[in-house]
Amino acid sequence: MSDAPLIQVKNLKMYFKVPSGLNHAVDDVSFTIERGETLGVVGESGCGKSTLGRTIIRLLEATDGQVFLEGKDITHVKGSLLRKAREKMQIVFQDPYSSLNPRLRIDQTIMEPLHNSKRFGSRDAIKESANELMELVGIDERLRMSYPHELDGGRRQRVGIARALALQPDFICCDEPVSALDVSIQAQVLNLLMDLQEKLGLAFMFVTHDLSVVRHLSNNILVMYLGQVVEKAPTKVLFTEQLHPYTKALLSAIPSVDIHTPMRRIKLRGEITSSINPEPGCRFAARCTYAKEECLQPQELVEESPNHFVACCRAKQINGL
Amino acid sequence: MSEEKIYLDIKDLEVVYSQAKKTVRAVNRVSLQLVKGKTLGLVGETGAGKTTIAKSILRILPNPQAKVLGGQIFLDGEDLFKKSEDAMYDVRGTKVAMVFQDPMTALNPLMTVGDQILEVLMLHNDYNNTEGLKKAGEMLETVGIPAERCSEYPHQFSGGMKQRVVIAMALACNPELLLADEPTTALDVTIQAQVLDLINELKKSYNTSMILITHDLGVVAETCDDVAVIYAGKIVESGSKEDVFDHTAHPYTLGLFGSLPSAAVGEKRLHPIGGMPPDPTNLPPGCAFWPRCPYATEECKEEIEFIKLAPGHFCRCIHSDKAHKALRRKE
Repeated sequence: MSDAPLIQVKNLKMYFKVPSGLNHAVDDVSFTIERGETLGVVGESGCGKSTLGRTIIRLLEATDGQVFLEGKDITHVKGSLLRKAREKMQIVFQDPYSSLNPRLRIDQTIMEPLHNSKRFGSRDAIKESANELMELVGIDERLRMSYPHELDGGRRQRVGIARALALQPDFICCDEPVSALDVSIQAQVLNLLMDLQEKLGLAFMFVTHDLSVVRHLSNNILVMYLGQVVEKAPTKVLFTEQLHPYTKALLSAIPSVDIHTPMRRIKLRGEITSSINPEPGCRFAARCTYAKEECLQPQELVEESPNHFVACCRAKQINGL
Repeated sequence: MSEEKIYLDIKDLEVVYSQAKKTVRAVNRVSLQLVKGKTLGLVGETGAGKTTIAKSILRILPNPQAKVLGGQIFLDGEDLFKKSEDAMYDVRGTKVAMVFQDPMTALNPLMTVGDQILEVLMLHNDYNNTEGLKKAGEMLETVGIPAERCSEYPHQFSGGMKQRVVIAMALACNPELLLADEPTTALDVTIQAQVLDLINELKKSYNTSMILITHDLGVVAETCDDVAVIYAGKIVESGSKEDVFDHTAHPYTLGLFGSLPSAAVGEKRLHPIGGMPPDPTNLPPGCAFWPRCPYATEECKEEIEFIKLAPGHFCRCIHSDKAHKALRRKE
């Protein structure tokens, strides 16, 4: 094992051509994830958080920038090298209803990666590891011959997790794994993911719009707005002293179950604009209460305090630093 | 309490859906009361029967699959189930309006939003086209959309704006009761905050009563006066927001709170409810929650009646004192 971080992303860009121009879905994003750590990526729909996850695990081909896995550049590897890299990086998808093949039984779904990797040898060995996986994620043995439509959302998501774990990856990208589930089932799945992380030493990238979920799970948080990172900090720091106006608004918008402390909500003007052909300045400026002329210049991610990065030229003034 | 007028009174409502040879018991003897001008939060998981209750009030349950087996719904003293279909036309839209869950599918993609609001207005008022369109524009402005956008189609709006259009449509005829079915579930948090503020403001200015259907206790905390928690088609706990949030009595309600990551700040693990929601075609006898309940005993398999814990605070559990003690210990 080398000293290099498990995942390192440098200036990653992912642009899509759309009829009206170029969609800057992920624009110049950099971060690292160490072994056993969780990085939470939060932002609203359309901010590029899912695209970021998919680009890292090579479901999408990056436009520019680099992704390193254990120090090796995997941004453009092909063939057997890519297969090898993929065994270490897996994904759990958002929608447990559409991410399982309806015509494969549960055990077939879980065994598919095992068959594909050819690492596991005989049929019996594969069957056995499938059984172990099912036990690990808490799916009843009797369900192995069921089809996805016979299961509820929570169990389906467990199948998705078992499939992601099959090749003993080091890194799993969880793309909104609980947002399609009921509250009580959500908590079960989140507990399962935390247990697995402890047991197997996994690193997670947790993509979600639910801030209370990332607060619970993550070591570090990346806040994205329209393809760009606006703030990056350790979880505790982010929840106590946010520097970017967008992060502040986002945190204040979480409905709280505490009925006795009155809400101090920061109201945002307008709607999220789009990341198609963006202007060079701060993309949040149109909704920001603090916006000034200097916000129309490109914003740099600056380290305001150790490990706490923010991309706002007015952060110092706003926060009285 | 006596001077407060009860606007909506649901008594022993029972609704079933018939599927091939199976009967889904969606709503089991639900009774609810809503005071004029107040907001009731109806909380529960998928399939608990929340939407079915709302649809029963408007009598828009799918026919013939759904059947109302029993019960009565009084709106402002009038029995809705005794009304003719023609008379219901006057109730829908003018007296009771509904905001549907998914703004992406609740609008007609082939009509401009102005025309869609106009349709509601013309159906219930004697507007001509120009007057109607002007009023439709005004409605859009109330929900924070420029009136010029009347002539645009739903696909030209974002999710949050579509939801506002749906709210504008629901409010077009100044309904006395608004049924909001998960109005913010499909929206992002910052937009959700905007829509909740909007609903609260509009409610105040029109003195509309509201039933807010949601599974998000945070949303309830911010908008509701009273709360009813529903599980497997039965109300398991009801009371004022303060009763239910501060003196939570039913183990299921406790479980819902324990499942929230936001409520567990500083704790490593969440405290979810074990097991899965029951199969509605085959509900367990007695309290439907006992197979998942940590306090369940043999008595729970018998039918459990509402127990009055405090004025206005009811709970359908014989072990609520135990659950309550456990909560206190944790604190």
